[in-house]
Amino acid sequence: MSIYTLGIDIGSTASKCIMLSDGKEIVAKSLIDVGAGTSGPQRAIDQVLEEAGKTREDMSFILATGYGRNSLEEFADDQMSELSCHAKGAAFLFPEVRTVIDIGGQDVKVMRVENGIMTNFQMNDKCAAGTGRFLDVMARVLEVDVEDLGALGAQSTKYVGISSTCTVFAESEVISQLSKGTDKRDIINGIHQSVAGRVAGLAHRIGIQDQVVMTGGVAQNTGVVGALQNALGHEVHTSPLTQYNGALGAALFAYQKYKKAHKDK
Amino acid sequence: MSIEVLLNEFAEISEHPHRQIEKFKAEGKKVIGVLPYYAPEELVYAAGMVPMGIWGSNKKTISHAKEYCATFYCTIAQLALEMLLDGTLDDLDGLITPTICDTLRPMSQNFRVAMEGKLPCIFLAHPQQRKPTFGLQFTMDQYQHVKGELEKISGNTITDEALRTAIKVYNRNRAARREFVVLAGQHPDVVSAVKRSAVLRAAYFMIKDDHTAKLEALNAELRALPPCDWKGKKIVTSGIICDNPKLLQIFDDNKIAIAADDVAHESRMIRVDAAETGDPMMALAQQFADQDYDILLYDEHSSENRRADFVVKKIKDSGAQGLVLFMQQFCDPEEMEYPYLKKALDAAGIPHIKLGVDQQMRDFGQASTAIQAFADVL
Repeated sequence: MSIYTLGIDIGSTASKCIMLSDGKEIVAKSLIDVGAGTSGPQRAIDQVLEEAGKTREDMSFILATGYGRNSLEEFADDQMSELSCHAKGAAFLFPEVRTVIDIGGQDVKVMRVENGIMTNFQMNDKCAAGTGRFLDVMARVLEVDVEDLGALGAQSTKYVGISSTCTVFAESEVISQLSKGTDKRDIINGIHQSVAGRVAGLAHRIGIQDQVVMTGGVAQNTGVVGALQNALGHEVHTSPLTQYNGALGAALFAYQKYKKAHKDK
Repeated sequence: MSIEVLLNEFAEISEHPHRQIEKFKAEGKKVIGVLPYYAPEELVYAAGMVPMGIWGSNKKTISHAKEYCATFYCTIAQLALEMLLDGTLDDLDGLITPTICDTLRPMSQNFRVAMEGKLPCIFLAHPQQRKPTFGLQFTMDQYQHVKGELEKISGNTITDEALRTAIKVYNRNRAARREFVVLAGQHPDVVSAVKRSAVLRAAYFMIKDDHTAKLEALNAELRALPPCDWKGKKIVTSGIICDNPKLLQIFDDNKIAIAADDVAHESRMIRVDAAETGDPMMALAQQFADQDYDILLYDEHSSENRRADFVVKKIKDSGAQGLVLFMQQFCDPEEMEYPYLKKALDAAGIPHIKLGVDQQMRDFGQASTAIQAFADVL
């Protein structure tokens, strides 16, 4: 009989679930575009259980991660930091990974992974610079959907520097460029370079080693991934499951913990 | 008295310093506010008054102080002024303003101007060259000025005999605190990070005889405990101050024990005792001269990175697996020192994390994530 484990990643801007069978096969996944403190986590849980045709009782172990991981104390069996889970998920998808860069809704994390285990990490401070929130703010000012930033930035023909890493000052810079009539696509490209510069600075603090894997929602933005590759001078790998990576790591840890508890008995 | 009762009493005092001031005033005592760092509190005690440590606040928000302060002053200094301006510290009879860092120097004048006609502010400038004879003389001259001002406020003459008694009281208290730090590191199952902080913090709000008596009773209880088989992780903390219970609770939640500390508010202030014989003013000056391994103090051998080596040794000696550095926002000395500390830690293979903090922080979500992840890599 299969062992089902559930990983729930409650981020600041989205809630994601991954259900695994025997710690290997993805049975179901769900994503709701609101995170901690909203109905998102419960909706994501309901959705993943429904998709798999399972109930809470079918889950051998549930592990929560992400900014809102402590809010599921009654539902989940345990919780872990999203850094450990992102490292775990990335090592599952890319066994050769040594550096994981996770750009989430409100923070940036760079992790060193050795033999599938996180051995060092760096996080940004309280500042929102270089995070998904930074891109949300810029997209709003530019009146474009955040999902379209990558495609639009790719059409840029001219370099426009956005020198500020501070979200508030960068917003002023973007408004200034718009008032000068600068092409939005060039501004977007400049924003991607700005994010990449900020993240690369953080990544260099622990050193870049191949393979480099980028996870989190912002990894879906091809403009940021490309700019980051240039800034780091290393190929940056992403996965279609990038936004689910933390939940995947949580489901993998859940399986490990279940097996350990079972073995101990 | 049981360990739990004693720890709870310290916590109660630590969380309610204003009640202590009210109590002292009701007893007819005069109270002197003492700002960081290295003010000779013994002089206040010898004058028959109560020194009250003021290291900012975890409960206040900067409002009135903005009128006087540049935005890049640390919250410790700004919130001290805030409490002077919003009435929290209205019962003080005087204030000692040391000037060791680049924020406290100008802040001493902000305090003076803001409190003009309301509260005597006693300026104290420690010398950079504290070890040579002329440095010792400078410190003594400064302490002489502080002594004179305290005598005016108290109406008492500070005799050599009274000062020697004060030095003995303070030495005994420092010894008790040093022993407690060791015992707390050995018994984290009983003394949580939150409780440990409360015991050390309460020292700033109590008459030292009372703090010593209570702490020696606690130490005796801790000494009698069987060895603790700690299953969690052990770390050393560093920084200017980390006394916010909500932040420290994260350590307890993740079973991370504080084995020792290199925190200014905690161990850096109690490392060195003063001589109990001879000229007591010289003893206090010599005590300051003997302070070492502090970011805020000039080190004539700084090229040897002695401070960082000292911290590395402390980590190894305490059996800790890593270091958590609380980087106080806008603290230039700590920021400038960090690369040297990091270099020594990396060379010794000791993992560390640096957490940006200030006293107006109310949400510790990111710190919680970083601390939990750090426990995973240790």
